[in-house]
Amino acid sequence: MSSGRISKLAGLLLACATAAFASGASAETNLKVFVTSQGQPAIWRTLLDQYEARNPGIKVSIELGGTTSDMQAQYLNTVLTAKDSSLDVLMLDVIRPAQFAAAGWTSPIASDMSSYLRAYAEANTIDGKVVALPAFADSMFLYYRKDLLDKYGLQPPKTWDELADAAKKVADGENNPNLQGLSFQGKAIEGAVCTFLVPYWSQGKVVTKDGKLDFDREAATKSLALWKGFADSGVAKKNIAEVATDDTRKEFQAGNVLFAVNWAYAWAMSQGAESAVAGKVGVARLPAIKGGEQATCLGGWEWGVSAFSKHQEEAKKLVEYLSSPEVSKFVAINGSLLPTYGKLYKDADVTRAVPWFADAQGIVETAKPRPVTPRYNEVSEAIRTTVNAVLAGATTPADGAAQIEARLKRIIR
Amino acid sequence: MTTTSMFKSQADRPVARRPWLSRWSDPDDTTLAVMLLAPAAILLGVMIVYPVSRLIYTSFLDLSLTSGLPARFAGLANFRQMPDDPVFWQATWNTVLITLITVPGSLVVGFALALLANLPFQVKWPVRLSLLIPWALPLSFAGLIFGWFFHSEYGVVNDVLGRIGLPRVIWFNSPRLAFAAICLAIIWKASSFMAMIILAGLQTIPRSLYEAADVDGAGRMRQFFEITLPLLKPTIVVALIFRTITALQTFDIPYMMTGGGPGTETATLAMYIHQNTVSFLDLGYGSALAVVMFGLSMLVTALYLRMIRGSGAAS
Repeated sequence: MSSGRISKLAGLLLACATAAFASGASAETNLKVFVTSQGQPAIWRTLLDQYEARNPGIKVSIELGGTTSDMQAQYLNTVLTAKDSSLDVLMLDVIRPAQFAAAGWTSPIASDMSSYLRAYAEANTIDGKVVALPAFADSMFLYYRKDLLDKYGLQPPKTWDELADAAKKVADGENNPNLQGLSFQGKAIEGAVCTFLVPYWSQGKVVTKDGKLDFDREAATKSLALWKGFADSGVAKKNIAEVATDDTRKEFQAGNVLFAVNWAYAWAMSQGAESAVAGKVGVARLPAIKGGEQATCLGGWEWGVSAFSKHQEEAKKLVEYLSSPEVSKFVAINGSLLPTYGKLYKDADVTRAVPWFADAQGIVETAKPRPVTPRYNEVSEAIRTTVNAVLAGATTPADGAAQIEARLKRIIR
Repeated sequence: MTTTSMFKSQADRPVARRPWLSRWSDPDDTTLAVMLLAPAAILLGVMIVYPVSRLIYTSFLDLSLTSGLPARFAGLANFRQMPDDPVFWQATWNTVLITLITVPGSLVVGFALALLANLPFQVKWPVRLSLLIPWALPLSFAGLIFGWFFHSEYGVVNDVLGRIGLPRVIWFNSPRLAFAAICLAIIWKASSFMAMIILAGLQTIPRSLYEAADVDGAGRMRQFFEITLPLLKPTIVVALIFRTITALQTFDIPYMMTGGGPGTETATLAMYIHQNTVSFLDLGYGSALAVVMFGLSMLVTALYLRMIRGSGAAS
């Protein structure tokens, strides 16, 4: 008798559980967001948790991949060429929306771009269509050890020559063999494209004009010679051709670097508990070639909706949230990622967390975009492998400049 | 339907009227042959014939996903682009060089390892296991490991050099040193494969031959050249075919160790194909490059097969 009652009860429970499971499964939409593993996924996870709490029935998971921008692109190229629907939302380097839109991999989003910084409104609008929304802004900055510059009575350098002099002065005084004067990206990664372009632009030159190649070989030689000179004179370390973006960040954070060329994300970590230089870091505009202007490279990441996603509406709604002023402010405070909205640069909460953001808007707004072309990957490869070869000493700056020109001529006609 | 008509038709066409089940359970010779060959033929068709035909077809197309244009027949345009492409020549030359260095290299090292493992050890498994490990390790892991070995600051190679008072070397700054490091990694990885095949061959040689040679007073060297080497020839040729083809397809180890750097100095043909298809999305040119590599592999295989046939006729 009692066993009969128990089995009845169990049956009832089972029925309830099945019903609950079935209804839960049918009402829930699962979205998958691709985030580069260098893009501080933990911060985005916090935001996605909030989004899930506010939007019952939506579950968002993160897929990580690609330690560098180019590795990430290789992965996404494979997934999207196969028209794979497993990814709904894609975090894209600022150089990608044009390529992805040309390949038909992202869905257009109906959105008003006027409130974003102009550079990002432009980078994400292709042929009058909005193809992605900004995640965060970025440009390259000069990080420096404020404590060491103060100790030797130095100001942040305005030209690369001044930087070399300051590095020598500090190196002579400190007598620390582990202290590098300058760290920058010499490995054949996407960052090396900016390494090349910063001093090139500083001489007032452009790579493309009205979609046509307008390459100045002399300025290119000077740019490559500048970086090679830093390695040869001991301002940068001899194996600079092995250094990627996050190596620069780690070595600066460990207290082994006086000046570093890096993006905004390095700030938050340099002030963290694991940093040897917390409170000793200053950030300034990148120096100029003597007689030139101070130029920097426009960075930043965007959110695109995969054209193959089966949840277009939900994905677009999520992307609009991830690109909102609320989120931009949150990642500025918690991850030192530059805001995509002008008004946030003077926001009291933001400047309390990252004081130098107050002066950063002008730098981001004048930062130059890398050449915009659907064949950007080939442009990038031609430049970064040559930068790497020159820094390794396998090619001279003059030969390197000629190689870049020859290869760009085949790509941009 | 009447019984008579049924009998009549069966007499006219006995085979066609047999129930289908009996055709399967008791097939005639032709049906049996088709049935036995079908799985292999279907598998070959799906896995080899279709992809290769598709590859050759694509190599004649102007098909770049970045252009936003539909595929267009381009004749030999993709192939005509190659002679003017410096990276193509560099990558092809590197591939040939890797093959010329690492195939004999891994044969010699693998042979030595096999002879060592064939010695009458009391406990055999530690030797066998250490032979097996490099082969069992995924190629990309091997590349990553050797990449760290040769890293100028954190690598064990420079650490050892420093400790014994030699100057530290920035291996990946120099095209030659980077290339040498890659070849070393490939030889390490491939030797265990060679050693295992050769070891298997060594164990088929009857001991009685060596005992007879001992009685006749032949020395160890004489035994090696007169007995071991000739009897191993077929085994070695098979091992060389496999090794040469994988050497021509070298990708993982240089990709993980140097990424083709410095510049494009250590890029291989397989890496360049990958770059053109996966990074540049130029499927037409990438396919044309792959057709060239396919042709190269076929050529080498044909040469080896000729070698086997030659040796077969001689013996």
